[in-house]
Amino acid sequence: MMSSIRHYVSVASCFARLAVQRQLEYPLFLFSWLLMIPIQYFSGIWMLKIIVDRFQPLNGWDFPELTFLYGLALVSHGIFVVFFINTWHIDNMVINGGFDRLLLRPMNVFFQLVTSYVNFIGLIDCIPGIIIFLYGCQLVGFEWSFFNIVKLVLVLLGGVLLRAALFISLGTIAFWTKRNGSMVGFALSMLERATMYPLSIYPFVLQALFTFLIPIGFISFYPAVEFLGKDSGMVQLPFSLALWTPIIGLACFLLAHWIFRIGMKNYESAGS
Amino acid sequence: MLQAYWYITKMRMLTNLAYRFEVFTSVGTNLIIMLASVFLWQTAYGGGIGQVQSLSLQDLTTYTILSIILSSMFVCDVQDTIYYKIREGQIVTDFYRPIPLLACYLADDIGGSLSSLANKALPLIVFASLFFGIPWPSSFLNFLLFIPSCLLSYGILWLLSALVGLIAFWVMELGNMGMVKDSIVRVLSGSIVPLWFFPESVQTVSKFLPFQYTYQTPLGIYIGNVGTKEALAALAVQAVWIIILFLLLAAGWKRTKKKTLIQGG
Amino acid sequence: MEAVIEVHDLVKEYIITKKESGLRGSLKSLLFPQKTIVNGVDGISFSIGKGEIVGYIGPNGAGKSTTIKMLTGILHPTSGSIKVCGISPQADRKSVVRKLGVVFGQRTQLYWDLRLGESFELLRRIYQIDLAAYEETLAILRDVLKLDEFMDTPVRQLSLGQRMRGDLAAAMLHAPSVLFLDEPTIGLDADAKHAIRNFIKEINRTRGVTVILTTHDLDDVEQLCNRLVVVNHGKIVEDGPIDTIIHKLAPYRLLVVELKQPCEDLVHPAATIIKQDGLKIWYQFEKKRISAAELISDLSQKLPIQDLSVKEPDIEDAIREVYKTTSAV
Repeated sequence: MMSSIRHYVSVASCFARLAVQRQLEYPLFLFSWLLMIPIQYFSGIWMLKIIVDRFQPLNGWDFPELTFLYGLALVSHGIFVVFFINTWHIDNMVINGGFDRLLLRPMNVFFQLVTSYVNFIGLIDCIPGIIIFLYGCQLVGFEWSFFNIVKLVLVLLGGVLLRAALFISLGTIAFWTKRNGSMVGFALSMLERATMYPLSIYPFVLQALFTFLIPIGFISFYPAVEFLGKDSGMVQLPFSLALWTPIIGLACFLLAHWIFRIGMKNYESAGS
Repeated sequence: MLQAYWYITKMRMLTNLAYRFEVFTSVGTNLIIMLASVFLWQTAYGGGIGQVQSLSLQDLTTYTILSIILSSMFVCDVQDTIYYKIREGQIVTDFYRPIPLLACYLADDIGGSLSSLANKALPLIVFASLFFGIPWPSSFLNFLLFIPSCLLSYGILWLLSALVGLIAFWVMELGNMGMVKDSIVRVLSGSIVPLWFFPESVQTVSKFLPFQYTYQTPLGIYIGNVGTKEALAALAVQAVWIIILFLLLAAGWKRTKKKTLIQGG
Repeated sequence: MEAVIEVHDLVKEYIITKKESGLRGSLKSLLFPQKTIVNGVDGISFSIGKGEIVGYIGPNGAGKSTTIKMLTGILHPTSGSIKVCGISPQADRKSVVRKLGVVFGQRTQLYWDLRLGESFELLRRIYQIDLAAYEETLAILRDVLKLDEFMDTPVRQLSLGQRMRGDLAAAMLHAPSVLFLDEPTIGLDADAKHAIRNFIKEINRTRGVTVILTTHDLDDVEQLCNRLVVVNHGKIVEDGPIDTIIHKLAPYRLLVVELKQPCEDLVHPAATIIKQDGLKIWYQFEKKRISAAELISDLSQKLPIQDLSVKEPDIEDAIREVYKTTSAV
């Protein structure tokens, strides 16, 4: 058991080192990302400010609270793209034979898929995320108590697992269809709208959908509701809303892993 | 000559119509954005406030729906096309083709736009009508003005795209600057939030930039936020931007071509 | 001989959706997809012994790659059994792939932007090769494949032949007992092909590695393989030593005779004249009926022979014959 863990750690760290080296081969390429990502997210929060200023708080969410929510969602997105970006490319790996290669190695395929590319460029997404989140914390007067910090860490962890679970399940479709094309873009815009804006602005059906069926409301909305002492909208849940996130996150992740394994059994390698 | 371009356009249309799965997800994605944006506006109006900046909720709903439909139709792949052609070193051979390269790219993008009209814009209009009622124009005259304004908008967007594509000739290593441009256009064109809500200072600066003439101008005409006279003036401004951008592109293209052919790529 | 690979009644079904042409056709197949089941691999059985070099050949779409993918555990068979080194790759993929090296000629497993050594280090960790054994194997590979010339160049800058040498080394690092090569010489120049064939022979001789190779290059087969398995339409159509297959499928040899002066009586009861061009005559004869020596001595008794040569049928003729006779299914 110990030697097996040591084996996996040793391979994961080698994968990470090679991934960083590969990305550093084209350093200037980062430049366009370095411009685009901050523009995209800072302008996003700016638009929310414009709307709130011209109109009124969104269903009781004023600008500081919206900033907190937006930032929380963005930080978990940033962490996700650092560690799980390979889940976006499962269809590519099926088509170009990369997936065959994973199967030819004496290690867990899921482990190889996730660890084989640590996307440190994704840290660029974390920069506006952290800035906006800290600004939001400042505005709402977030209390940095030990208990709150532990909860925050658990929420981020659960949020990342939830995102991973979603993209793994979508990626598994490629085992049958060979391509899942723009499913990634579809899921990304769904995530953006459901995590960066209060879920309570949407009709009940959508709230229920994002709570029970595709529980991405737990990535940032419900935790923010608890941290800020807001009303959770039409869906009411017992216990601490924030602590639901890691539990549901882990459950979904395990479920996605199970779906992935079923998909692998049905895997039809592409090409000849 | 024209036949050659029509052939390119037609080929692109046929190719695009074959990708069914991509169409489903693209329509789905736009539908999500549309629903979410309209619900956001509904919450913002909150039933209480009647009009903000002389815009009613209905106006903004129509504005948002149309904005998303236009964005699914305005296909400007030229920036990526140029970028990849340069990366693969294919651009040099393309220069030796008997017909102007940029016109080919335009024909190709128009094909993309036409197929998107059929398989993306139409379903979106149907869905939007089901959810929020048919987004009627404010008047028939405004609708007649909206059409040429859209065409001019596409012209501006396409020329901007081609200009950004040209950047790749000079600073290839910086990656795809098209993404950066897109994120600026998204904000300053008023495609998400109309510029009328922006702070005065931003609005003033924006009047001298081409971006607001791509989405806000035709959409403003459609919902009747501007009078007929102002609409005609806006069309004229759009035309002026097209001329300016075209001249810039022509000059940049000429220099780039020279550079490429001398260096051999 | 100890069997390294045992395959019994292997079947792989595919479901194919028929597509019709035209707008109406594509609408129709969207609403009522017509599905048919096709057997990509249709009841294949064979056994490969330790140290054999087997050429696994067949036309495109014959089911070669599918078989290889099932043998290596990538695909699950619809039915039938596979044992590689006594283990089923489907039941215990990890144990089986430890013993396998796999090279796809058209796809590299090396990292494009990095030096060879970086990919090797990753493989060392994946296969948990202990450092001393790794250094030793690598030293041998560097020597045989002449890796030192390009060890420190990023893979993207390597020539195709160099890259293939790198890929072979990567597949051999963990000292596998079976090596699968899918088109290892595709697109290579004569020098590179030569180097790669030499390497295959070398590891087979010194380490007893069993090699299974698919290829369209029959020179590979001729120079490397002692056994040939020919598949077409998912079935094995020939399996045996190369010579046997050639003799079975292309039993005729040619004797080309050049005469000093024209002659009248050219016929021989055991040979047929298939061509005559001036003083040159082509006799076709069957090995079983008459040996070349007998035919030559018979002819030289009655004909004034200036020069002669015997042409053996080559493998290409044999293979073409196989494809032709089995394609009318």
